Amino acid sequence: MSRTWIDPLSGFEPEKAPREVATNDYLSPQTTWNETTRFKPKMYKVGRLNFFYKWPGHGGHLWSRTRYWPTRRRVLNIGGTYNQKTMRREKTILDKRPIWWTIAFAAFLLMPFAVPGDLWNTVMTAAAVFGIYAAVNLCWMLIIGTAGIYSLASYAVVGAAAYGATYIAILTGIPWWMLPLAGAAIGLVFGVIIALPAMRLDGFYYALLTLGVVELGRVYVIQSRVFGSATGGLYGAPSYLPDDLSQQDQLLYGYYASLLVMVAALFLYRFVNGKRLGRVLRMAPEKKEAFAEACGVDYRRARVSVFLLSSTAIGAIGGFYASHFGGASPNLFSFDTLLLALAMLVIGGIGRSEGAVAGTAIVVFIDRVLIDWGPLRFVLIGLIMLLVVLFLRDGLFGIKPQFRAWRDKKKSERRATRAEKGGEMLPEEATETENKDEIYYRRFDKMQRDFIKRLVTNEIIEEHRSRPLGQHSEALDRLLIYFRRQGQVDKYAILVTEEFKAYRIVALSGHRGTAPRVVEDKVYLNPNEAYHALFLRRVQDLLET
Amino acid sequence: MNWSFVIANAITLACIYGTLAIGISLTWSSLGLINMAYGFIFALSGYGAWLASQHIGPYTPVVMMAGILTGVLGGVFVNALAFIPIHDKPNYQLRGLIATLAISLVGNQVLLWSFGPRAKSLPQLFGAGSVNILGVVMTADKIGASISAVVLLTLVLMWMRSSRRGLEIRAMMMNPHAASIVGIGVRQTSFSVMALTGGLAGLASVLLAQTYYVAPFSGITPMVKGLSIALMGGLGSVPGAVIGAVILGTNEAFTSTLLGGQYVLITQFLLIILILLIRPRGIAGILDKAREA
Repeated sequence: MSRTWIDPLSGFEPEKAPREVATNDYLSPQTTWNETTRFKPKMYKVGRLNFFYKWPGHGGHLWSRTRYWPTRRRVLNIGGTYNQKTMRREKTILDKRPIWWTIAFAAFLLMPFAVPGDLWNTVMTAAAVFGIYAAVNLCWMLIIGTAGIYSLASYAVVGAAAYGATYIAILTGIPWWMLPLAGAAIGLVFGVIIALPAMRLDGFYYALLTLGVVELGRVYVIQSRVFGSATGGLYGAPSYLPDDLSQQDQLLYGYYASLLVMVAALFLYRFVNGKRLGRVLRMAPEKKEAFAEACGVDYRRARVSVFLLSSTAIGAIGGFYASHFGGASPNLFSFDTLLLALAMLVIGGIGRSEGAVAGTAIVVFIDRVLIDWGPLRFVLIGLIMLLVVLFLRDGLFGIKPQFRAWRDKKKSERRATRAEKGGEMLPEEATETENKDEIYYRRFDKMQRDFIKRLVTNEIIEEHRSRPLGQHSEALDRLLIYFRRQGQVDKYAILVTEEFKAYRIVALSGHRGTAPRVVEDKVYLNPNEAYHALFLRRVQDLLET
Repeated sequence: MNWSFVIANAITLACIYGTLAIGISLTWSSLGLINMAYGFIFALSGYGAWLASQHIGPYTPVVMMAGILTGVLGGVFVNALAFIPIHDKPNYQLRGLIATLAISLVGNQVLLWSFGPRAKSLPQLFGAGSVNILGVVMTADKIGASISAVVLLTLVLMWMRSSRRGLEIRAMMMNPHAASIVGIGVRQTSFSVMALTGGLAGLASVLLAQTYYVAPFSGITPMVKGLSIALMGGLGSVPGAVIGAVILGTNEAFTSTLLGGQYVLITQFLLIILILLIRPRGIAGILDKAREA
């Protein structure tokens, strides 16, 4: 802690031994500044910023981009910038979703060749179901997500279209490609019927009403003799598969056909959600309808058109369903189907096409491939659904934005806890102060006081006591210079009541014409004693601030 | 045509469905939660009553109390799982609806797993006799069901009018935000609301057990009916639910006698759609100022 300081003035009297005094170790005046301004928050190397890989690119290619007919759209949304540090052109893929979709489609296409042989039949049947359900869910997502109509009757429309198409096919013997058309017509009619109350009811009233419609359909189908109450469904619709195929080929063609239906539904989703209707409806979310209306957006019309479009599409898918399964079963109307379908939407996240597809894939996999699990698989689906709903705001595909929002919240919380008030001036005071230099002066002064306080040690005080005037060690000098630099108001001074006999400590008023005030009664007999007493007072005042 | 049969049926069904509908209506208006697990609570309390009748004895009070208590437990369970964690999160109402649906999915499967698919029947609670009142022949079972439903519902409504807890619940129904401002705890009130409505479901389950039996999936149809009645009466209104129950009970009794059982749901939903088209917020329709959906 302590070291010895040799008075440099001792060199004037080389005949005497140099004066040596114990003093502090050297402490850099930068110390407090460095400590206060050091960057203290804990930093992590990854995950703080969006990471985009920078592709190289040539400025000349800026305008010759691949665009696909008939739109002017690009295959990938690539942003180009000029990096001034590397002096190169950089390209960034701003939206990677087309890449993921491409990979997913490739996986769907190649999936039949990668499934192990003993599971092949089960998986291919499930995969065909997945294609159809994904198509229905995409259309349903248009109704719930884009149009914001909480209709639970989508699978009832599928069922109605499938039953109707099968019935017509049995009666008239139409070819298979007429079934989706018939289904679409039935879906449109059903959509109009269901859409009528949707114009007057809102939100959950409508959801509950459609739930009733589903139950109505189920009871009707189960009890109606025309629709096969005895055989557990209505069968006899023509299949779109050629007759002379082996069972494996049938499954394979069925799978690709339903995949095609899914792709068609994706196109529909894209063209409704991403074009005019979707834009209009994004303008009029729930509880902001009045605003949209005031802006001249006819959101009711948009909602009903989306609803009717989707219902027609769902009806067409219902016709395809009839052709695929050779008929329809009352299972389509059951509460369990509704629950599972809702689980598909919810798990993926409502309002996104990838959510509908991924959710369908997960639920159909659990429901149709893990058949050995028995009732446990419904429990599993229910648990996933429950967890997703309880913890995720927007399904699986909402995890990323939700995590980012959470991280930002945590970040700002931490930032708030480590915010250092300057301690010198309250925020209100600082805004009221005219002279902004004052704020910075006080901040600097606080930092300097913090440093000076660390210099006060017993050695320093002892050094001052032994010799108040003259050359001092570096630490004591800093202390004294600081004291001397203070303003005149309430500065301590020594009053000579009688030379060489009596000295007292007073405090200056700082104003001309106003006498200093007496601080203490004690009378010091010689100047050095008075100097030291004054020094101690100042040190005490310093340590008290 | 047997008028006495029609009237007796109408009264019984109205009483029981009214119980269910008031439960659903209360939950919605005070918590903003559409309890889709109501059917599960219904089935669960049926099993509770059945277990009590098997292990304790087939006495009416025991079976009834067991059903109601199981319903209370079920309600508290659903509340702890589906309301408490998300009631202050964004998009709560849709998430609450889906969470209760998920509970119903899991719960029904667990019931199926543990009790098997075969329906259980409860003992006859009110004897097998029948009474002739003003030319209307009522079996003891129907009289007992109607009277106990009416008595218990009246008790519940009186409790809601006169007790401190009831005052809190009614305050939540009027304006949940303002209620929380004046110091009514949303969470603890939600527990009492859900226990109450769960108890009502349990009561309805025991009373309906003669018609629907006790089976894992027996709760869905009564729940849909209760929902429809609550919807028709105006979600959140007790008198509306009672009127709706009377209308639908009458409709069900008439349709099943005049046209046949399979047309009940069709006429019922046509009626509901008609009423909702005329009054979008149901018969009572007080909801515009009660709760912002």
